[in-house]
Amino acid sequence: MFDYTFVYDVIVIGGGHAGCEAALAAAKIGAKTLLITQNLDTIAQMSCNPSIGGIAKGQIVRELDALGGTMGRVTDIAAVHYHMLNTGKGPAVHSPRVQCDKKTYQFTYKHLLELQPNLEIIQDEAVQLTTTGGAVNGVITLRNTFYHAKTVILSTGTFLKGTIHIGEEMFSGGRYNDMPSNCLSDSLKSLGLHIIRFKTGTPMRINARGVDFSKFRVQPSDHPFQTISHFTDYQKQSQRHFLSCYITRTTQETDKILRENLHRSAMYSGKIHALGPRYCPSVEDKTKKFPDVTSHPLFLEPEGNNTEEFYIQGFSTSLPEEVQRALLKSVPGLENASITRAGYAVEYDFSDPLDLYASLESKILPGLFCAGQMNGTTGYEEAGGQGFMAGVNAARKVYGQEPFILRRDEAYIGVLIDDLVTKGVNEPYRMFTSRAEYRILLRNDNADLRLCPYGFALGTLEKKYQPAFEKYRQQVEQLKADAHHQPNDTDLYPWSAEKVRFHVEVHQKYAGYYERNKKDAEKLAQSEHIVIPEGFDPSAVKGLLFESSQKLKAVKPRTLGQAARIPGITPADIQLLTIHIERYRRLKYAEKTV
Amino acid sequence: MSATPQAIPGEFFYIHTHPPALARSEATIQARVKNYKISDMQTTICAPATGPGLGAISLIRLSGPEALSILHKLAGDKKQFPPREQVFCHIYDGQKVLDEALVTYFSAPRSFTGEDVVEFALHGSPYIRGRLLELLCQYGAQPAKRGEFSYRAFLNGKMDLLQAQGLCDLIAAGNQAAHELALSSLEGRLSHCLDNTKQVLTEVLAQIEVRLDDVDEEMSALNVPDTILTLQKQVSVLKQLADTFSVGRLIKEGLKIAIIGAPNCGKSSLLNALVGFDRAIVSDQSGTTRDTVEETIDWNGQRIILTDTAGIRDHALDPAEQEGMRRSMRAIERADLVLFVMDGTRALTSQELNLWQNVQQGGKPVIAVLNKKDKAVIVTNPLPEQPVHYIALSCKTGEGLADLKTAILTVLQHPALQTQDGIMISNLRQYQAVIEAQTELESAVLQLKHQAGLELYAEHIRAALRALKDLTGEVTPEDVLDVIFSKFCVGK
Repeated sequence: MFDYTFVYDVIVIGGGHAGCEAALAAAKIGAKTLLITQNLDTIAQMSCNPSIGGIAKGQIVRELDALGGTMGRVTDIAAVHYHMLNTGKGPAVHSPRVQCDKKTYQFTYKHLLELQPNLEIIQDEAVQLTTTGGAVNGVITLRNTFYHAKTVILSTGTFLKGTIHIGEEMFSGGRYNDMPSNCLSDSLKSLGLHIIRFKTGTPMRINARGVDFSKFRVQPSDHPFQTISHFTDYQKQSQRHFLSCYITRTTQETDKILRENLHRSAMYSGKIHALGPRYCPSVEDKTKKFPDVTSHPLFLEPEGNNTEEFYIQGFSTSLPEEVQRALLKSVPGLENASITRAGYAVEYDFSDPLDLYASLESKILPGLFCAGQMNGTTGYEEAGGQGFMAGVNAARKVYGQEPFILRRDEAYIGVLIDDLVTKGVNEPYRMFTSRAEYRILLRNDNADLRLCPYGFALGTLEKKYQPAFEKYRQQVEQLKADAHHQPNDTDLYPWSAEKVRFHVEVHQKYAGYYERNKKDAEKLAQSEHIVIPEGFDPSAVKGLLFESSQKLKAVKPRTLGQAARIPGITPADIQLLTIHIERYRRLKYAEKTV
Repeated sequence: MSATPQAIPGEFFYIHTHPPALARSEATIQARVKNYKISDMQTTICAPATGPGLGAISLIRLSGPEALSILHKLAGDKKQFPPREQVFCHIYDGQKVLDEALVTYFSAPRSFTGEDVVEFALHGSPYIRGRLLELLCQYGAQPAKRGEFSYRAFLNGKMDLLQAQGLCDLIAAGNQAAHELALSSLEGRLSHCLDNTKQVLTEVLAQIEVRLDDVDEEMSALNVPDTILTLQKQVSVLKQLADTFSVGRLIKEGLKIAIIGAPNCGKSSLLNALVGFDRAIVSDQSGTTRDTVEETIDWNGQRIILTDTAGIRDHALDPAEQEGMRRSMRAIERADLVLFVMDGTRALTSQELNLWQNVQQGGKPVIAVLNKKDKAVIVTNPLPEQPVHYIALSCKTGEGLADLKTAILTVLQHPALQTQDGIMISNLRQYQAVIEAQTELESAVLQLKHQAGLELYAEHIRAALRALKDLTGEVTPEDVLDVIFSKFCVGK
């Protein structure tokens, strides 16, 4: 074995959407970081659809961008189509979605990783974590190299024991034609992590040569549009050439084919046992669960500028390839399209997020952080958000700083992580605006005001933006206080007077609700101050119900606020806990002073 | 080694969740735990410190940061309350004097709970007690939870661990009851009755949320008129439930019967006869409010408080007849049932007719009682119209008293005082929760009528479900998603 004696502050395993954000965030803070990936050419690969954002997901990207994350900026660089979703509804739920050139996206990320000081990248496969004194201390790779690390971030996506299903066909793979990672999962299990299995799927890709686009409804790129990053120059961006997406529906014929072949789907032939996401069902799932609905929407997304490949959203399936071909022919306009890559389902291992603290550090193995699909989520955006937080917190741990945790009223990222570590997952977790109690606070238009200050303080957001941001914030306050205030553009770039006006207009629309949400959130913040001491045993609390005590033991909440959010924990439980925590604290204090 | 980045100002971080960090900054934790305030401790709470029955005095306690300012709202801004001194003062219900009370203000931390505390010693009338609690809540206090005063006392270091264990038992008992949800218990039935409301609201919320999170943008628009109808129906369900609050309290605290009428028509005799008739005097005090006489009796487990409005007699001949009328009207206002007593040997005076008109307009259930049936009754019904409940009796011989008791019990069966399946709200916390939910749903309806936007309807329906949380259990986002995924074919 080759012992690479340098001790990294942070080693990131997996170079997907979570891993890239994690590596960049840790390195920006100053941590000596190593990213280990099986294949440098599939870094930040968009394994499923060629778009970033969407409802609630778009907000996450905006938040990540305000914190100093990279996803938003890369998305703008790779953008081929902008669309703001939910514009028919209130601005609190407006969500940006951007179609990307897949190749530009992934190679831009790769290039940024290469340029990032403090960051090294190595193409290899991690097969084992090593520990010392119960804490993680390094990684052994397939080529038998031992890398020392103070902290390790796992962001392995669907690669752990990945199994791919297409109809009756079944083979191992993390992605179609990519090697799975089979050893690491066993190493984690032997270290005591709880490994669970999920399933997800992806639709077929087609060659658009021969497609009759006149049969579809065209969705052109928005004009004007909003860049997804706060720091992209709109004027430059708007000079670019944009592509269209297309919308159509499945037909009676599609429905008939699906019904006749349901039993051949990997989902229903009994081959797949893992749970899949309810909100991202395969087309055969839809037919099975909603037999009355005989036509489903299809959304055709271009895979990029230099390709004829299209992604067909709505056609996610694990039916045999021949059925997939028949399905395609049943849709007017697609009769002459050919499949370039078949749709498939993938099963993979992930580790139970209930084993994590809100910092994303493992309760079982100190020094180990987990992010992305590894924690049972789906989506590039959810992965990116967690990756950033894991990267920040791994670096902060190395520097002996307190972890950085976002509250539920501060960011969708806060909601996401709190949900994961408090409630766990029973299907791949996707963000929805309905998951946020403080939806009126967590808007697309105020992500910068909410989170840029954190970005500056963490060291992840460039200091050069700070004066303009302060000026922006000041002008917003002035306009809120005085409707006659005229914001001006001086020294405001990349913000603008127009943004000031827009934000204040949205804010005024929600003013009453905003205050109400804020007040509720303050109450939440107070209960988040009460720390449940390390080593506190809930079974010692007399009067606490057995089930409540079991739940508290499983989740190990760190604060009373988090305890209160565990499903099934009652207000009376919380009252009891408060008293006992106080009692415990006083006893400990008495022990010390004796 | 790279340089340690600039430390982040402490206020950005609100939480210690990390074992190493915890070990490292034990001192900080100690300080934080010592200084923490739990959310509920920001509120001011109130509760009676004496039981629900009748006593010469009832004691009401108010604790929290707003205690003194609420006291000033009740006793006037100018009144001074030096700490730990009993102050005699009027307690105002708007413009009217509710009661004369002895009030003591304890400034923090030298009080039972360690917070600002106000203690009201009032006359022992359930009406006065109930009304004061309502006023306290109107001015911003909240009804205390079980054991909450002691809980605060403990957290503020006013109680030792041994005492705190007793407190834990108390809370635990409540916990057990809430979990077992004994169907026979009042709370269990109440919760069951709200199950449907919870389900309907969850489904309406799902209808809204599915549209807010609709990726394909192909859902049909929300059916606004239908949603309004559904919500309005729930508003009336909640309203009905809220209306049972007075009945619930009535059963707990007693049915109040006011005996009114002209001087010498036999009000006091009637009171004595009713008390004697049952021979089950619970307590006996007179002059609780100086101008009325109260007696409490127990009929088949139903506590009944009889009030003789003696004040009318004193003032009826007074040139200022208005005063007598005013006192009668106040007694009627506080009563659940009115006995209007008439002298059967003579026709009604214009003043009595006037009083009758006022009683009728007051809307309270009323029984017209014609006394002195043993004498030569000159009129069968001296009233201008036939009253719904009319009893002729003689207090002297006891004839007709049984009829009166039957009539009183009949009025008690009156639909206005009855609730469906015996479900009712008997404590102020539940009442407030239901009222809050009702108000939120009314706001939702208003916003729907203005087509204000899905996200705003959702805010109000979420708030309504939150208000009912203690009664129905929480509705989590996961519950709403469950409805969405079972009812709608959504997803990319």
